[in-house]
Amino acid sequence: MDRRNFLRVVGATGALVAISPSTISGRLYASNGLYESYERVQLLNADGVAIKLADLKKETNYIFQYPYIGTPTMLLDLEDSTAKDVRLKSDDGEEYIWKGGVGKDRTVVAYSAICSHQLAHPTPDDSFLQYVQKDKKTMACDHGGVVVCSSHLSSFEAKEGCKNISGPASAPLAAVVLEIADDDTIYAVGVLGGDKFHEYFKAYKPEFKKYYGNARQAKKKVTKSATMVELTQYTKEIIQY
Amino acid sequence: MKKIIITTAMALLLSSSLLANAKEKAQLSSDMREMLLAVELIQKGGFYSKPQMMKEGVKKLKAKLTILESADASKYLPDDKKEADKFANKRAKMIEMYADDLVVSIDANNLDDALEDYTQIIRQCTSCHIRIRSY
Repeated sequence: MDRRNFLRVVGATGALVAISPSTISGRLYASNGLYESYERVQLLNADGVAIKLADLKKETNYIFQYPYIGTPTMLLDLEDSTAKDVRLKSDDGEEYIWKGGVGKDRTVVAYSAICSHQLAHPTPDDSFLQYVQKDKKTMACDHGGVVVCSSHLSSFEAKEGCKNISGPASAPLAAVVLEIADDDTIYAVGVLGGDKFHEYFKAYKPEFKKYYGNARQAKKKVTKSATMVELTQYTKEIIQY
Repeated sequence: MKKIIITTAMALLLSSSLLANAKEKAQLSSDMREMLLAVELIQKGGFYSKPQMMKEGVKKLKAKLTILESADASKYLPDDKKEADKFANKRAKMIEMYADDLVVSIDANNLDDALEDYTQIIRQCTSCHIRIRSY
């Protein structure tokens, strides 16, 4: 590479970082495993007010769209502290480390609400995928505190990075990485683990037409803020076995 | 005498209920076979590049889907899978959604999307069979 080309490469890289600082963090995290940084997005309630950690109800399913307009994410305050540095494996065998929940007691977690088995996910009409409280049991799992997909009865340990623990799912749910600001407001910043976005966008084109007008709209990245509501407000029917 | 009449009535009631159940299951098997033929027709139309044949397959498939969607799924599911009725209904609705989109894709001359729709129809069918038959 001659001097002129070298300067061009340095200049272009500098410009890219200036436009999108998350490019740097994305690459740094990526070296640590399956991490992809996306827009830093603040979570707001239905009135457009920033949600703080203290606003969260314990063990309640919350839903917001991230990192794309058409990809639902669930957020939970599990009440109990989560495990730390959980070693997980994606569908294709790649290992990554889930650091744990956020907040003072590490109780708050977020996961992509797309089942790693056959992509079941909450829609405005129904939801086969949701967190099940600690004191409840389902057909999918003999204990609560888990995320259950009632489509094929898979379950995922919510306090351990949504590791798959029963049923046909062979990989964890992808985790959505959260950041808490000094004023306790909540931001989503990226996705860790084997996300299913590619297959999901391919498989649900007709559904996107119904809910978002078209698939292109569903594939747009969420920027700046996302509205988060309880699952009961998001969907008409929760189906749980 | 009273006992005999009551017992006979109960037996008749039970046998007619069993008969109705058997009839429903036989109807379901017949519908499923016709759905399989419809899906095969869509596939054949795809292989031979005959959009009209694919559309005919969609029409036949949708005709049988209506029966599945309107029926109470818990009536035709095996006893140990009755709880999966909403799951079965959802799969039927998804098949209908992909079948409709398949026609839209054919009309738009987008065979790639039509193929994806066909794949998803098969996936919905097998998804339900996996759950119901406990593969």
